[in-house]
Amino acid sequence: MSDTINTKRAKKQQLGPYGHVGRALNELDDRLGVAKGGRSFLDKIFPDHWSFMLGEIALYSFVVLLVTGVFLTLYFIPSQAIVTYHGSYLPLDGQKMTEAFASTVNLSFAVRCGLLMRQMHHWACDIFIGAMVVHMARVFFTGAFRKPRELNWTIGVTLLTLAIANGFLGYSLPDDLVSGTGIRIAYSIVLSIPVVGSYLAFLVFGGNFPGTTVIPRFFILHVLIVPGIIIALVTAHMVLLVRQKHTQFPGPGKTEDNVVGSPMFPVFMAKTTGFLFVVAGLTGLLGAFAQVNPIWQFGPYVASRISYAVQPDWYMGFLDGALRIWPSWTFHSFGYTIPLEVFIPAVVFPGLVFGLAYVWPALERKVTKDTASHNLLDRPSSRPRRTAAGAAVFSLLIMLFIASSTDVLANFFRVPLNEVLWAMRILCIITPLITYPVTLKICRELHAVKGGGQRKTPNVVSRTAQGEYVATPAPEYVDDVPDELEATEVPKFITTPTDEPVESGVRVVDR
Amino acid sequence: MSTALLKRLPVYAVIATIAFGPVLLFTGAAHAGTKTPPFQTTRKNSGTPNSNFSKTNSDGVVIAYGNNAITYVAPPSSLSTLGEQLFLQNCASCHGTEANGVPAHGTSGAYPNLVGLGPATIDFWIESGRMPATDTRAVEAPRRPARLTRHQALAIAAWINSLSPSYPLIPHTNTRDANVSNGAALFALNCAACHTIEGDGDALANGTYAPSLRHIPATQVAEAIRTGPGNMPRFTGNLSDYQVADIVKYVTMDIQHPQNPGGFGLGGLGPVAEGFVGLALGVGILALIGFWVGERSERQ
Amino acid sequence: MSDSKETRTPVSVAGLEHDYEHMEPAARNPQLVERVIAVSLLVGMVLLACFGWAYWINAQPWKLGATMGGGLFFIGVGLIAWGKYLMPKGPFVEERHPFANSDEDRDAFAAAIVERGGGVVKRRKLLGGLLGGGLGVFGVVAIFPLLRSLGPLPKETLQHTDWKAGTFAVDSTGRRVQVGDLGIGSIVTVYPEGLQDTDRGQAVDQTVLIRISNEDFTTQKGRETWGPKGYVAYSKLCTHLGCPVGLYEQQLQLLVCPCHQSMFNVTNGAIPQFGPAPRPLPQLPLYIDSSGYIRAQGDYKVAVGPGFWERK
Repeated sequence: MSDTINTKRAKKQQLGPYGHVGRALNELDDRLGVAKGGRSFLDKIFPDHWSFMLGEIALYSFVVLLVTGVFLTLYFIPSQAIVTYHGSYLPLDGQKMTEAFASTVNLSFAVRCGLLMRQMHHWACDIFIGAMVVHMARVFFTGAFRKPRELNWTIGVTLLTLAIANGFLGYSLPDDLVSGTGIRIAYSIVLSIPVVGSYLAFLVFGGNFPGTTVIPRFFILHVLIVPGIIIALVTAHMVLLVRQKHTQFPGPGKTEDNVVGSPMFPVFMAKTTGFLFVVAGLTGLLGAFAQVNPIWQFGPYVASRISYAVQPDWYMGFLDGALRIWPSWTFHSFGYTIPLEVFIPAVVFPGLVFGLAYVWPALERKVTKDTASHNLLDRPSSRPRRTAAGAAVFSLLIMLFIASSTDVLANFFRVPLNEVLWAMRILCIITPLITYPVTLKICRELHAVKGGGQRKTPNVVSRTAQGEYVATPAPEYVDDVPDELEATEVPKFITTPTDEPVESGVRVVDR
Repeated sequence: MSTALLKRLPVYAVIATIAFGPVLLFTGAAHAGTKTPPFQTTRKNSGTPNSNFSKTNSDGVVIAYGNNAITYVAPPSSLSTLGEQLFLQNCASCHGTEANGVPAHGTSGAYPNLVGLGPATIDFWIESGRMPATDTRAVEAPRRPARLTRHQALAIAAWINSLSPSYPLIPHTNTRDANVSNGAALFALNCAACHTIEGDGDALANGTYAPSLRHIPATQVAEAIRTGPGNMPRFTGNLSDYQVADIVKYVTMDIQHPQNPGGFGLGGLGPVAEGFVGLALGVGILALIGFWVGERSERQ
Repeated sequence: MSDSKETRTPVSVAGLEHDYEHMEPAARNPQLVERVIAVSLLVGMVLLACFGWAYWINAQPWKLGATMGGGLFFIGVGLIAWGKYLMPKGPFVEERHPFANSDEDRDAFAAAIVERGGGVVKRRKLLGGLLGGGLGVFGVVAIFPLLRSLGPLPKETLQHTDWKAGTFAVDSTGRRVQVGDLGIGSIVTVYPEGLQDTDRGQAVDQTVLIRISNEDFTTQKGRETWGPKGYVAYSKLCTHLGCPVGLYEQQLQLLVCPCHQSMFNVTNGAIPQFGPAPRPLPQLPLYIDSSGYIRAQGDYKVAVGPGFWERK
């Protein structure tokens, strides 16, 4: 008996100071050699600025997309075979429709959690692309795309393009009246490409519109091919981020050669996992309370039916707006037609916009002649021309989004439709032309003012017993930093490579 | 100097908003006064009634016809005298004492000839509140609370019908045996192009618009389909009474009382509204939470 | 709070003792914050349990979503607050190391590729050329099955519809349209008889039939016989992007396309008078036979629908 107790105690002592977990990690290290790398991974420092959370919104909404998407694939039938619907939604009962549409209606009404998953999936997509755009704007305006991160920027722009395409493919899958109209328009856009348009359209869509292979092809693109590429690129995006370390804003103790923030484990992991739950939770709440894409009301897609007040989902809205406001100039001669009224707004224009995004790092390098590595970010106002150019392009895109709802605007404001269209045409031209110089001026003014764009010391206004108002600067907020910072010695017990005291504090950095 | 400019910047922004904002509204309002209302020449409803039964009065005029789906009934001719009085009080100032309208002259458009338009037309325009018109310069008379009661509307319709009996008579739809699914299909093919698939209506060309269908009684739905008021096309022989009854049932049930199992309906404006909600509520709230999660930058 | 300078100076997280300043929680009152976080996590847990129960009783979607979404949300908020307020507040610092290796390493790397690889190929130029050629041919022919097998070639498909001389115009139920069916200002979507339920009939052949007057109507010179008894027919495919032009305003005599609001004048051959559509809607020549049925004189004279390269 005492032997057993001794054995147990001895075994416990054999475990070492970290118990069973420590022993498991040791076994892992025996096989994979992860101890050293693992420790330095856990010590990885992440800068904490709130604007760095925007990319996380995109990442976690993508996770929500994947999870809800898997659920949906178990019920959706990607077939254009005609079936008759018999189910609980009476206005469709007895109607002929494609199996894709019927399975989506069933998913919405007959599958528990089906409608919730559909709506969460759709909202997560809207949030995904929205967060990517905002994240891309942050990266652009702070100059985080500069060397050594040009590759990550390219990956990011590609991710945005793929996400927009996948969103279009996804909401076209149920084959309802609204999205089917979108497919017809997409077909016509492909058709408009000079020389190869009709061949490309027939090949991609499997024949003349509507064809019978559109939904199955869209399905496999939407659930396998494009998400596969997206997952690979997101992984590459993250690997590059880990390898190159995140950028940071200039501040006390922050230099080009260090990263200041919170460690991966436990702080960053806690916050980021919490953020994942928050994104999933908010998407769930949206899916609960805000109805989106009610395909049962639209009915199945029949090529001779059409509804008014339809637009594509918001991330394609800039294309729809461009198509509405572009004049009807077409080119026809020598027996051939180039539908410029479609080709330019729907193919050339987005090509230019995304092309500009792709070449921007190289363009900026050439214009500013700045080929140094940058790990510290710019404040947007300290780069007036970049900020103004970005703001001008954004303002144009926002105007085009608004232009995609000309009929809704005309109805809401009780203004004739024709005038709304002319107003949007004029606005789309003058808005970027005004935004550029205005933004430029604002940036330059902000930079000329000492402490412009940064937190100021508030004044506390108090009243004396005699009734006189006195303003005094408020006591320093606990997070505020005095302007001067002396370099202090790092305590000795911190191991540094050279084991000499390291000076920390503000360092002057050449930019 | 630059500080002063910076201080004045918000003022400039406000001025710019005030200047740019009402541009649309201003051009719209300026236009309303100068547009001439669309005119109608005399036109008659064609198409003979397809029916299972028809009833004629002693003069041989058809006063009712129809089938299981819709029964068309003429307003009682006894109301004719009251109708003439009401017409002279409320309508004759524009449409003339003989109800045969005033042709277009100068900048004002024509006031239509009402003789031969059928009781359903007269009843629709009065009961939907569009007539008597309050603003004759408007491009399209809007739906308003009716100024005349149903009885008075029938009386006026009776008098005008007495001048020249015509079709269609006032429809009474029996939706009990109507097929709402067939109605949905017909609505999508014939009605959604103007009224939108969710029935909320939208702006059309040159200041006209298709009204919302959310608050329309069944009779007016049938009347509008059969008579084609204003710019709306008329659906006469190409839709049978059974098909019209199906559409009426669909509109009064699923357009006016949508199920909306997914939550708030977001107004039937299309994906544009979804985009606003997704960006403002979705990305916006998450960005605010991100603002809490992360740190703010210190001073340089 | 002790000396503010020391609290802001970042330190490396490696090897810190537990009671070091930077390992303190950020909250000024950790007990209170811990209680608030506990409440948040508890609310989240309860809501998720409610989700399980709502699922069991097959509750409405909004209840499922509210419980699940709310539950995840509160757990997330609690976890974030824990990380932000109760965990070591830092700040911590990590050194970046320049990526570029030493010049010797870079030269060795470049030499390995250029000299080893280049050297090999230089010695066997013929093999290198043939290999390159083989890979090039593979690259080209690999595209063939990936692209060409996807679908048929367009040939003349886009240039014609299925309307022929004598085709009856039928509505969506297959009923033939008669001369007495439509009044002035009426519109109906028609298809060639027999094709009203097919993809091609609906997508390509769809036609709007409008009655403009009671007498024969001429829209343009040369089309005097095309509009018998006031019936005119236009292709329903918008010449901009192919949406069905189903929106008819009878007093304005306009066909409006709901997609991008192109407006076509039905009295002069559907010439676009506003919006992005570049060409008029093709008009279908009609005639009325002895029984009063509306029939087509033949196919459209031009290709219907949006523009494409080979469109004449």
